[in-house]
Amino acid sequence: MDKEELLTKLKEIVAPYTHDKDALATISPSTDFIKDLKINSANLVDVILDVEEEFDIEIDNLEMARMLNVGETVTIIEDKLKALDRK
Amino acid sequence: MIGNDIVDLSQAAKESNWKRTGYLEKLFTMAERFLIHVAKDPEVMVWLLWTMKESAYKAHAKETKIRTFAPTLLCCTNVVVHPTLATGNVFYQGKMYYTQSTLSEAYIHTIASEKTKVLSSLQLKISDYDESDSAYRSTNPASVSHHGNYLALIYL
Repeated sequence: MDKEELLTKLKEIVAPYTHDKDALATISPSTDFIKDLKINSANLVDVILDVEEEFDIEIDNLEMARMLNVGETVTIIEDKLKALDRK
Repeated sequence: MIGNDIVDLSQAAKESNWKRTGYLEKLFTMAERFLIHVAKDPEVMVWLLWTMKESAYKAHAKETKIRTFAPTLLCCTNVVVHPTLATGNVFYQGKMYYTQSTLSEAYIHTIASEKTKVLSSLQLKISDYDESDSAYRSTNPASVSHHGNYLALIYL
């Protein structure tokens, strides 16, 4: 899966929790889930659970701590898929 | 430093399914999940503990400027729940925050501070939240939280 494909999937995942639809339309690696997309912090857990389900990966607490923006999240997913040899 | 957090219970019921598999495990420690499990109203306990964590996190982040998403590192202890209020402590990164919560049918609100004195002297104002009205910003609140229909402002 290339980066663009991954970003498209992530965009679909965050869409239902996003309160700023304009920020979603211009999503980029620097987009912050809370500051830009205005995702409620209690819904960040839903984003993480959805990512785990969609990519069939497990995200530990240390990785979760870094998942505040799109770029970090894409990196974490890529690393996981690579480690599992499912890139 | 001080932090506060409000959860509009009807909004939370729409936005969050805390019964979702894996949800509580990502947010709460084992001791906290036990409190939720044995609570008379588990939903109230979920959002009480969550506002405790959020308010302590905000107080900490304001001071250190460190942003992270590590809810299980914020440990709620000594949680005492009365009918309309609750108190407790949150341990986070070697600091202890005292928390004071208001429980109502419509919302749950918590304030966190490292100093109990601050908690007893501050002024709390909870009102209806209007997205188009940002006049509250010019009133210089020490801490702001809004969720759903409610806006919570703290003045020191």
